[in-house]
Amino acid sequence: MRIKHLLMPAIAATLVLSACGGSAEPPAPPEPTGETQAEIDERNDSIAAARAAEEARLEAEAAAQRREDQRMSDEADEARSTLEAVVQFDYDEATITAASERLLRAKLPILRASPTIRLRLEGHADERGSTEYNLALGNRRAVAVQEFLAGFGISANVFTTTSFGEERPAVNRSDEAAWAQNRRVEFVITGGQIVTSEDN
Amino acid sequence: MLRSLVGAALVSVLVPVWWASPLTAQIDSIPGVTLGLLYEAEFQPALAVQPFSGRLGGETLAPRVEAIIARDLRYSDRFEIMDSLPASLVRDEIDYQLWDQLGAVWLVSGSLEGAGSGFVLVLELHDVVYGEIREQGRFPVPDAGDDDFRMAAHVAADAIIEWIYNEPGMAASRIVFSRRTDDGNQDLYVIDSDGENFKRITHYNDLTMSPTWSPDGTHIAYSSRKGASGLPRIYELNLETLVETPLDAGRDGDHNTPTYSPNGNDLAFSITGGARSGIFFYDWARSCCLTQLSGGRWDDISPTYSPDGRRIAFNSNRLGTPFPQIYVMPATGGAADLVSPYLHGREGYYTSPDWAPVGDHVAFHGRVGRRGLYNILVADVSDRGRRLRQLTWEGNNEDPSWAPDGRHLVFVGRRDWGTGLMVVDTATGTYRMLLRGIDVRLPDWSPPLR
Repeated sequence: MRIKHLLMPAIAATLVLSACGGSAEPPAPPEPTGETQAEIDERNDSIAAARAAEEARLEAEAAAQRREDQRMSDEADEARSTLEAVVQFDYDEATITAASERLLRAKLPILRASPTIRLRLEGHADERGSTEYNLALGNRRAVAVQEFLAGFGISANVFTTTSFGEERPAVNRSDEAAWAQNRRVEFVITGGQIVTSEDN
Repeated sequence: MLRSLVGAALVSVLVPVWWASPLTAQIDSIPGVTLGLLYEAEFQPALAVQPFSGRLGGETLAPRVEAIIARDLRYSDRFEIMDSLPASLVRDEIDYQLWDQLGAVWLVSGSLEGAGSGFVLVLELHDVVYGEIREQGRFPVPDAGDDDFRMAAHVAADAIIEWIYNEPGMAASRIVFSRRTDDGNQDLYVIDSDGENFKRITHYNDLTMSPTWSPDGTHIAYSSRKGASGLPRIYELNLETLVETPLDAGRDGDHNTPTYSPNGNDLAFSITGGARSGIFFYDWARSCCLTQLSGGRWDDISPTYSPDGRRIAFNSNRLGTPFPQIYVMPATGGAADLVSPYLHGREGYYTSPDWAPVGDHVAFHGRVGRRGLYNILVADVSDRGRRLRQLTWEGNNEDPSWAPDGRHLVFVGRRDWGTGLMVVDTATGTYRMLLRGIDVRLPDWSPPLR
């Protein structure tokens, strides 16, 4: 009891002193409770490593996806450019030349793999024929392309044909080279989707 | 000795003849065309136009009306037009003796009188030889600011042609054509027969081609890609209301090269696209009755009706060669006769027929072989094209269309000195450039407009 009474004023005095500031010592930091700093660091490092590994894995996956997308896109681009490759004709003729036949045969796997695709075959003539007759000649070229592809089982429903005659030259010059480029059928995708043959 | 002299004389005679028809001309010449005789000599009576007088406000406008009519008469290529007398020498009384001494056969005098909001032109045709007035007429003329002012003067000029020749003139008419602009598009334009009033009539900025006049001159039909489908379709434009009507034939393929039948209710045009290709008939007045008149695996295009509406000339490659030819078939379809000159081994490329508004003449353009320049030809189809005339001999010449006088043709001409719309008189071979310096195609000359 006595001790208790003695202690009470001491605490009170301490409190008074503390309240006044002065030169009293701050309380010491709590003692570590069994885990060393090294251990803490190690654990934090592990967490970071796990995160990095996960990020790397995700990044690798994304890169693979990007590569795949790129591959698909390249394939689609290639398929598209194969499909859209212009075929040319001899002067005043609507017959498929050997060079045109190669270009048309290359289109076949894409057309077969892409049943929804719709194309407009646009026939053109060089400027030397008559204006109105060239409308007919351009159309005959478009029809010749359609019939060639039909011979390989491509449905007529895939295509519409039209002719621009001599009115939309690819090259606006009047020489043999320009005329050769202007006698052509262009392939315009009007609907559906290109399916590359690997997807089948 | 004597023999060798005769031989030398023969050589000297033959050499110039040989030079006159060089080898190239023989190869390129169109079979069936007689070389040498191009135009038959035609008597051209001398005609003078006395300065027009003006009364009641018509004084200032009278010289302009006179100038339009005088030029129209010159462009008719039917007269030797005399220089007019100075107005100071002209008296009220016609001095027939003076004009006779000057060599005139015909004399035109006129007086423009104010009447209401416009004028009346009193026109007189004098027979100088007989010293009397042959014909007289009164023609309403609106004020110079009116759109119809020039056309009113053209109508009076055509009346003079009709008085003298009992044939239609061509002054009161216009030509419609497509013009290619720098962006590659084509829109339609019109120009008066004398080269005035150049005017744009469509603004689609797309490919609009092959315009053709209705027989009454109030509508123009043409093909255009301007629609939603992006494919060539036929349209008709009312020139008064500017209302446009599409022809809904309900059929796939490209629809091109329309032409009215002479009754104005029906239309013939081409549809191309595979097995559906051919010339088709459509009753536009009732919007029905699409009928295939010709066709098959070949291409038939550019139909044109005979004036009686019973036959159609058109272009076809049905021989299966790269040499299109001109054919004539009944307007209801059926067997077609070849009218362009066809000679195996010397095939020509003949396209763009246009049937004259009077008679049995079909104009078209062509060349022999697959290269070279085009010339304008006229076939007499009453005799299955056996009588053939070549009208042009220089430059490049395409897409002829007959004037309402059945005598002149407009075509797209290219010369060293210019390119544009040219007019040739099929009787005398006289040329004039109507419009120069722009890229024009497919002109179509109107019927008489009044």
